[in-house]
Amino acid sequence: MRVVIAEDSVLLREGLERLLTENGFDVVGSCETADDLLLKARSYSPDVAIVDIRLPPTHNDEGMQAALELHARHPSVGVLVLSQYVEVGLAMKLLAESADGAGYLLKDRISDVKEFVGAVERVARGGSAIDPIIVSTLLSRQRRDDSLSDLTPREREVLELMAEGRSNQGIADKLVISLRAVEKYVSSIFGKLGLPSGATDSRRVLAVLLYLRS
Amino acid sequence: MASAALAGGADAGSARRPAPATIWLLALTGCAAAATALAFALTNEAIGAELGEPLVIALLNDWITVSFVSCGLVAWWRRPESRFGPLMIVAGFVNFLTTLSWTTSDVPFTIGQSLDLLAPVLFLHVFLAFPTGRLDSRFQRVLLATAYALAIGLEIVRMTLGGFGPHNLLEISSNVGAQEAVTRVQLLGVAACCLVGIGVLVARRRRVGQPLRGSLALLYDAFGLALVMIALLFGSLVFDGPAVAEIRWATFVALGLAPAAFLVGLLHSRLARSAVGDLVVELRGDPAPAELRDALARALRDPSLELVYWLPEFGSYADLDGRPVRLPSRDGRATTQIDRGGEHVAALLHDPALEDEPELLAAVTAAAGIAIDNGRLQAELRARLQELRGSRVRVIEAGQKERQRLERDLHDGAQQRLIALSLELSRLEESLDDDPDARLRLVEARGEIAKSLDELRAVARGIHPAVVSGHGLDVALEQLAARAPVPVRLSVAVPGRLPEHLEMAAFYLVSESLTNVGKHAQASSATVVVSRAGGQVVVEVVDDGVGGADTERGTGLRGLADRVEALDGRLRVWSPQGGGTRLRAEIPCVS
Repeated sequence: MRVVIAEDSVLLREGLERLLTENGFDVVGSCETADDLLLKARSYSPDVAIVDIRLPPTHNDEGMQAALELHARHPSVGVLVLSQYVEVGLAMKLLAESADGAGYLLKDRISDVKEFVGAVERVARGGSAIDPIIVSTLLSRQRRDDSLSDLTPREREVLELMAEGRSNQGIADKLVISLRAVEKYVSSIFGKLGLPSGATDSRRVLAVLLYLRS
Repeated sequence: MASAALAGGADAGSARRPAPATIWLLALTGCAAAATALAFALTNEAIGAELGEPLVIALLNDWITVSFVSCGLVAWWRRPESRFGPLMIVAGFVNFLTTLSWTTSDVPFTIGQSLDLLAPVLFLHVFLAFPTGRLDSRFQRVLLATAYALAIGLEIVRMTLGGFGPHNLLEISSNVGAQEAVTRVQLLGVAACCLVGIGVLVARRRRVGQPLRGSLALLYDAFGLALVMIALLFGSLVFDGPAVAEIRWATFVALGLAPAAFLVGLLHSRLARSAVGDLVVELRGDPAPAELRDALARALRDPSLELVYWLPEFGSYADLDGRPVRLPSRDGRATTQIDRGGEHVAALLHDPALEDEPELLAAVTAAAGIAIDNGRLQAELRARLQELRGSRVRVIEAGQKERQRLERDLHDGAQQRLIALSLELSRLEESLDDDPDARLRLVEARGEIAKSLDELRAVARGIHPAVVSGHGLDVALEQLAARAPVPVRLSVAVPGRLPEHLEMAAFYLVSESLTNVGKHAQASSATVVVSRAGGQVVVEVVDDGVGGADTERGTGLRGLADRVEALDGRLRVWSPQGGGTRLRAEIPCVS
């Protein structure tokens, strides 16, 4: 899989390059500015771009803007945004159009190599990767009518993993249960929350997130 | 230049009032001159043939002499700083001297005749030099110089050519044809100068503009009429027009009326002084400083009047609200400075037409003395307040910048390094597959780093919520709403980005309010609305809790109010017992 990296900290950029290379990725380009990222994404047609949300020159939202542009103009390129803080608002902004090939993770996540590599692969294949903090923040959000309380603890766990962008198989592996069981939980959750079932992995991410956010 | 010499010579008194004796002496001389002219006319039968009825001509000529001399004396007495009075007196006496040509002695005749056309040019000079006695443009000086050259130079040339009878001492040859040609040139030339002068007066009259300055308009009309008559008379003389005698009489009458119009104007400004009396009465009622300007505007009959105060500490003028004001550099406004006790205190910006009434200005500013001091104190106080507010904003902004820098340092430094370190440990862990003990310790170490990162994140966020400056208020508030202790309905209706200090203030306002809702309100829900309307940003946080929030106790609300007030805004809190709490901040937002 072909990867482009935009990260202005040399330490982290090199760390990421090594990590991805060691795990079988082909790092076709790495840079430290948003403009460079857009250029490299056009010329090297990567499967996924890993973007630091704060990039020069102002370190405000250049990375986010580049990610949004990439996401809108090159839907075939997955975009994984890394940040030192995760905000519900930013996640919703990134996923506004679709959750296909979009990811938003806390930077810390890269040190859990297996999880991180899995997330990069998911986004590269057109899936999504949403940071657990976003999901838990949304889940813990105070609501007037709490239909979430109808969920069993196990269903809640499945809902969280689903919202992070994992496939049924991914959820089954994570919870060490059968695929069949996951499917049962999923349809039960969708029934209880009144969501339309049968969506693809990333569609259901958006549906769940929007449900949790409302 | 002739005009300068004449005006300068008459202006020896400068700003001091002339001695009464001088006035009386000049007045008596004027009377004597009038009587003398009458005597000349009655004893010389020759002028009857040339000018018509000698008695009528002599009386009309005296009317001009007396009118100019007497009005000139009044003007000199009233406005010693102006050259206008002396200039009128000179014009009057020169008018008398022309009557020397009615005598039958050689020397007086020659003098009188050579001054014959000087008088009308002097009248032109007087009219153009109103009210200061000076000509205020190069064009006018050139015009007058031309007129003087025509009047004196060509008169002498004319006299050398003969045709003035036996008493002309200047006669060299007798060439009546040439003499008449020169006369035509001279008369038409002076008439043309008068017509140009009328143009100048018309332009000035337009600038007067204000309906209340009727006397001034009358004055210009009288001056203009006199010049029209001179031009008409000279034209008639050259082209042998009809009724020359009647035109001559009418011209003399009009010339004598011009100084009278000036007297009416003086009387008018005397009347205006009664407005000063009204002002004094009004000021006795100790009006608020804001009303002082209106009172002065009424007294000076200038609705456009502006009153600005001099603040020496700030080295600038300021209006009553303490806002700095720059004095206009002569774009149709005039400035009068006001001093009290030798100290400069204020200035009036007014219609330039008021400069024609210096006594009125002086009287009004003198009457307003103490009230102006009060106004100035208020202006100074407000200016200080503004300065204070400005420095408060600067302190907040500097603090904000510093916090932002700290947050960035943490972000770019410690946080990145810890993440990189954690990543290295993770890779090390991968390579150690046959040492479970070492792996466990590495996992523990990574856990410690993760905790440190969490703590660091909390610290950095407390120092400066980077998401506000980075991604805007709506994104930042969404996180606050998501983590709020009660369900929050959030509405951010602000198109585009606001100035950063405003976004920051709104963010802290909502953050602090929602924390309070969780701590004290016992609410079941809250609403946060941010909107922008009418040049201000409005932030409202409403909950349905127990109410009774104390705005004075507890630093939370006070701190929020400080922050809002530093931005010139207003924070209001409604919190009736049992009726929920509503907090509304209105912060001005230009751009």
